[in-house]
Amino acid sequence: MQWIALYFPPSAASTPSCSFEGMALWAGRFTPHIVLRDAGLLLEVEASLTLFGGLPALMHALKTDLSAMAYSAQIGIAPTARAAWWLALISPGRILQTAQLPLISKFPLHVLACSDKQLAFFESLGLHNIGDLLRLPRAAVAERCGQALLDSIDEALGKRAEAHVFFEAPAQFDVRVELPAEVTQVEALNFVLNRLLIQLCAFLGGRLAAIRGFEIRFEHRDIAATRLTIGLLRPSRDTGHLTLLARERLGHLRLTAPVRAFSLHARDLVQWGGENNSLLQDETTEAEEWPKLAEQLRARLGAENVQGLQLQADHRPEAASQMVEPNSLSAELRYPLRPLWLLPQPEPLREQGAGPYYKGALKLIAGPERIRSGWWDAKPASRDYFIAQTQDQALLWIYRENGRSWYLHGHFA
Amino acid sequence: MSRLPPAYAELHCLSNFSFLRGASHPEELVEEAKAKNYLALALTDECSVAGVVRAHMEAKRHGFKLIIGSEIRFDDGPKMVFLAQDREGYANLCTLITTARRKAPKGRYSLRLSDVKNGLPGCIALLIPNLDERDVGAAAWLNEYFPERAWIVAELLLGADDRAQLLALRELARQTKLPLVAAGDVHMHQRARQMLQDTLTAIRLGKRIDSCGHALFPNGERHLRLRAHLAEIYPADLLEQTVRIAEQCNFSLAELRYEYPDEILPPGETVRSHFHKEVERGLWRRYPEGTPPAVAHQIAHELAIIAAKNYEPYFLTVLDIVNFARGKGILCQGRGSSANSAVCYALHITSIDPNRSNMLFERFISIARDEPPDIDVDFEHDRREEVIQYIYERYGRDRAALAATVIRYRKRSAVRDVGKALGFDEQEVDQLAKSLVWWDRPGNLRERLTQGGIDPHSLRAQQLFELTGQILGFPRHLSQHVGGFVIARDCLSHFVPIENASMKDRCVIQWEKDDLEAIGLMKIDVLALGMLSVIRRAFDYVKARDATELSLGSIPEGDKDVYEMIQRADTVGVFQIESRAQMSMLPRLLPENYYDLVVQIAIVRPGPIQGGMVHPYLAARENVRRGGTIRYAHPELEEVLGRTLGVPIFQEQVMQLVIKAAGFSAERADQLRRSMASWHKQGTMDQFERELLEGMQARGYSESFSRQIWSQICGFGEYGFPESHSASFALLAYCSSWLKYHHPTVFLAALLNSQPMGFYSPSQLLQDARRHNIELLAVDVSHSDWDCTLEGPALRLGLRHVKGLSKNGAQRLVAARIEHPFSDLNDLAARAQLGKKDLQALAGSNSFGILSAHRRQALWQVAGIDNSLPLLRGLPEKDKLTVLPTPTEAQNIWADYAHLGWSLGRHPLALLRPRLKSMRSVSAEELHACPPNSNVWVSGLVTGRQRPGDGNTIFLTLEDETGNTNVIVWHRVAEMQREALLGARLLSVWGTIERSSGVLHLVARELRDHSALLGKLDVRSRDFH
Repeated sequence: MQWIALYFPPSAASTPSCSFEGMALWAGRFTPHIVLRDAGLLLEVEASLTLFGGLPALMHALKTDLSAMAYSAQIGIAPTARAAWWLALISPGRILQTAQLPLISKFPLHVLACSDKQLAFFESLGLHNIGDLLRLPRAAVAERCGQALLDSIDEALGKRAEAHVFFEAPAQFDVRVELPAEVTQVEALNFVLNRLLIQLCAFLGGRLAAIRGFEIRFEHRDIAATRLTIGLLRPSRDTGHLTLLARERLGHLRLTAPVRAFSLHARDLVQWGGENNSLLQDETTEAEEWPKLAEQLRARLGAENVQGLQLQADHRPEAASQMVEPNSLSAELRYPLRPLWLLPQPEPLREQGAGPYYKGALKLIAGPERIRSGWWDAKPASRDYFIAQTQDQALLWIYRENGRSWYLHGHFA
Repeated sequence: MSRLPPAYAELHCLSNFSFLRGASHPEELVEEAKAKNYLALALTDECSVAGVVRAHMEAKRHGFKLIIGSEIRFDDGPKMVFLAQDREGYANLCTLITTARRKAPKGRYSLRLSDVKNGLPGCIALLIPNLDERDVGAAAWLNEYFPERAWIVAELLLGADDRAQLLALRELARQTKLPLVAAGDVHMHQRARQMLQDTLTAIRLGKRIDSCGHALFPNGERHLRLRAHLAEIYPADLLEQTVRIAEQCNFSLAELRYEYPDEILPPGETVRSHFHKEVERGLWRRYPEGTPPAVAHQIAHELAIIAAKNYEPYFLTVLDIVNFARGKGILCQGRGSSANSAVCYALHITSIDPNRSNMLFERFISIARDEPPDIDVDFEHDRREEVIQYIYERYGRDRAALAATVIRYRKRSAVRDVGKALGFDEQEVDQLAKSLVWWDRPGNLRERLTQGGIDPHSLRAQQLFELTGQILGFPRHLSQHVGGFVIARDCLSHFVPIENASMKDRCVIQWEKDDLEAIGLMKIDVLALGMLSVIRRAFDYVKARDATELSLGSIPEGDKDVYEMIQRADTVGVFQIESRAQMSMLPRLLPENYYDLVVQIAIVRPGPIQGGMVHPYLAARENVRRGGTIRYAHPELEEVLGRTLGVPIFQEQVMQLVIKAAGFSAERADQLRRSMASWHKQGTMDQFERELLEGMQARGYSESFSRQIWSQICGFGEYGFPESHSASFALLAYCSSWLKYHHPTVFLAALLNSQPMGFYSPSQLLQDARRHNIELLAVDVSHSDWDCTLEGPALRLGLRHVKGLSKNGAQRLVAARIEHPFSDLNDLAARAQLGKKDLQALAGSNSFGILSAHRRQALWQVAGIDNSLPLLRGLPEKDKLTVLPTPTEAQNIWADYAHLGWSLGRHPLALLRPRLKSMRSVSAEELHACPPNSNVWVSGLVTGRQRPGDGNTIFLTLEDETGNTNVIVWHRVAEMQREALLGARLLSVWGTIERSSGVLHLVARELRDHSALLGKLDVRSRDFH
């Protein structure tokens, strides 16, 4: 047996977020015998050594992937899973041969899976390493600390068989990553995306499969997730290719809200042996969905020119609606008595006599509605709004600012 | 031609006692309504009358009509406002609020329409309509329960379509046959508070203002509007209705007549005859040989004042409570202006003999003014609950409740909440709030902003600055007063609503202490004092050992040796004068009699320190000691300031001073005291300043002197300490000092058995005991009780110090031992039926004595004891063979600290001394041999960090094996070496020795955290920020 333990210390700066599910999917590349731990993975690679051309070659491939994903793992290698895990915890990078297993007695007691209370107990007794514990009468130790503790030491020493629950890989790739802090810049997500794509491609490689497309979801705090579907013209499992595609799309994406979590989904797997570079047009696209239409319109007219309109909870009329991504959800708000379409800039009105003037004297038929709000930003409003009638019976929405100048803000259609 | 606008009364108005809704103080609202010539103002806070007393006092001042009401949102109906028409209506309103509040957790309420069963006789109801189908049902309900007493409210606030709204309301009124009345949904006195009101909304919702959206009001119209504007907005008939309603509401808080409880009377006695008999009886006990003529004279004087004010029931109620405590052997002591009287001495409410200091007793006169009598009674802290339960039992929960304390915005909380609302991030706000420790003047906020990397000229910063200033002093929620009980003859909820407090089974009324005083409700403070527990225990131990009965009154006054000990500042553990600041004052003030202690206790307070009274007083003492005389700015001041050598020290003196020197009326002086004590509105203080300066000028005082007095008053602020309280504390300080000097071991045992309390940890108390050569015996299952005990001349430490040991387990252990000494560990575990946790605690603390070889062996053994078989006797042989390594001395000391919090072994610093010597660090003892102004390294365990009132320095106490070193860290050094300062358990300080009047300080220049040297030693500093 040849066990490789990968331990990801929770505080390491290079692992801002760890999805071990994703890591297990990735590790399928090296072996089907994977055990998930709280903070890492155990891989039994004995059978894969020939395939990779020996342990050093396998370790090289493994480390290359890890560094591409910017993970720094503490690695331990030993004939028993437990010994490998302990090594990863206390002496990363070392390999323990079968003959060296007795060295475990020098290991500190904190490698044992025991509570802080129990560790404190050992310390109060002046016991420091596994050897100190083994020197005490076994029966007395078992009575006080439980047989399981001694069993685990025996397992590490190879004196007792280990029982494992192996990870069973799912048929699809669905991996979600909680971001350590909310992200507002798309660029900041490239890093996580890259990691997930490496995991995806390793997963696909392990099952000799490829994908026709995948979906990226950005989860926000209060609003529905933003979804980005990326279809492929031909099946692929090439990290570089997928990364390029995804980045391109991300480059055009404008986030409506900060992102809290990020996930990658690939469900449409096809069996695929490998290098087939022929460019076959996929003829079965074209679902005439609105989002796709919007995407196409935006691609043709420019993203700036295709927008959605959303009501905003703000008393200032000019801030009461907002341009948003076309398929964002709208909040439940009531639209008050005012024109749907406001002028981009309020238009100053002349005054004639006592009242405002717009192609003739205006008649105020409703109002005032007083809006005094927004002092907290640079655009406070302090206005009295009126509905005014022009000489030719058109209705205008006008206001008086701070009791002085008059402005036209919109036309009732 | 101008016509006067129609008359108007505002009937729907919230103050800031509708927490985080109203944006003006009740006083401001009344003042504004008066200024705008309203006919009346109804204060209708949400399910509360917490602000009405303030509004009432302000209205009284202006001769303005205040209506009392409350806005309530029903769980199953709309929002309504109820207005009290008369005394009955007010009682019904208070009862309704009580019902609503008692049904919900603290700070909330819950009420259904069916709870208003009787239709609140004496109240008018106003419906705030939703303008939907529910209104009709609500109106029908009102027609049934409030016939002829219900209106629908029209609140036109320049919204999107006021005209349509008015039409809809007219239609509703027509359908329901209820009249329509105008109101303003007032949330602020002036439009200018809109920003603050928006901010409060954001704080209430826990959001940033810019994401509050429509939860904010669209404009600032919810203020007290000009009548001319109202006339433009409302039809005349709606305004006219406000007048009709106001005319029907004629209740005033002045009508509340408080009646004292009457169960205190035996049959056949009048209150007065009974009271006089009680005083008579008391005098017999105090003076079996006959009352001294001076005391008799004083008694007669006081009885006359009490009779004139009808205060007998108050004194009798206090007496009843004190008698209960005495019957249960609970030590207590009264304080406060009325407590320092010959009458209270006779009644055993206080132990301060009128002969002890005649200086105090003129204070009793204060009740000759309109102040209600005020007696605080301190009880032993661990037994006060018995007294509280007695009060509830005796008077019932519907008649007795605790006063409220209004928790208000202070600088830090204001910056935190306003900052968050304005969108500063958590970190910025936190940093700002923390930095405000040093914020003595509002202007400093600008500096703090800059230091926090925020541009002080930015819009947000300007707004933060302004809004923080406005929100200061705003009430945030009601909390319970520490012990102020209100007791009524009948139902208390007819006077003031009662609501739930956060503590289970506790309720508070909606008024605080000042409100009660203003209304004249009786309050008795039932307070907890740890030192009383200590003293009572010490009395018990002395009685058990020497068969001598001691009491607070019988301890001989004027013991020279005791005062010498106090002058040496050898006062660890004694009451009040043990703190670091008190200790460094003692060798300078050199108290030599009781009254000196009264001064000593009051002078080491932020008030006198900030008011700059300390140095003048010390100088005056020195002057008198050398035979000089005191010169007064005016001869009439001698009467006020004579007893403190011309320097005002006590709160009472400041009050007397403004009366004497500036011609304030007693009432005005009292108002000044209140303004100082609570929320100061700048305008109010300016007004007082003008009055004082003018008054003093008119009486011939120089302006510079007047200004000096004013700045002293300001410095006093809320921190002035009353002489009447200091007098009581001084007695306890003296008694505890006397015990420490004459019965040091007894006193130590009493102190340790009353923990947690006081300034020092058990570890520090034990260090002090060792320096006084008190013999200390370790905790030992074969000898220790739960409490510390006296073993001959020595003190045996108790099982109470063993961390993690249950009290029940310890008691079983002691009981089993009394039956038969323990033969071994298993015998102990079996007979005391101790659980594993208790056994581990005992083993860890090495408390098994001869029953085990050392703590590791003990730990191993107890880990093997099988608890499921408690009768299993005898250890299996193999366990006896298990041999664990013997711990070293250092390991033992570390383990002692971990399991006991202290060690009887060597001081940890003694072990480190060679190491420290090599670092050229001197000990606390060696420090005294170093020349002043020299620079040295000193290392010690940080046992205390203190930041006194002015906040510019931090005081550290470092403990080593030879004693304590006092370190002063100036602000600049503190800022630069913050981490070492706040984080170190073992700290080394490079500093300059400063010595004056026998007090030695080290002024820190450099700090180094040497905690690593300590290993795992668990030393916690007692930090007081």
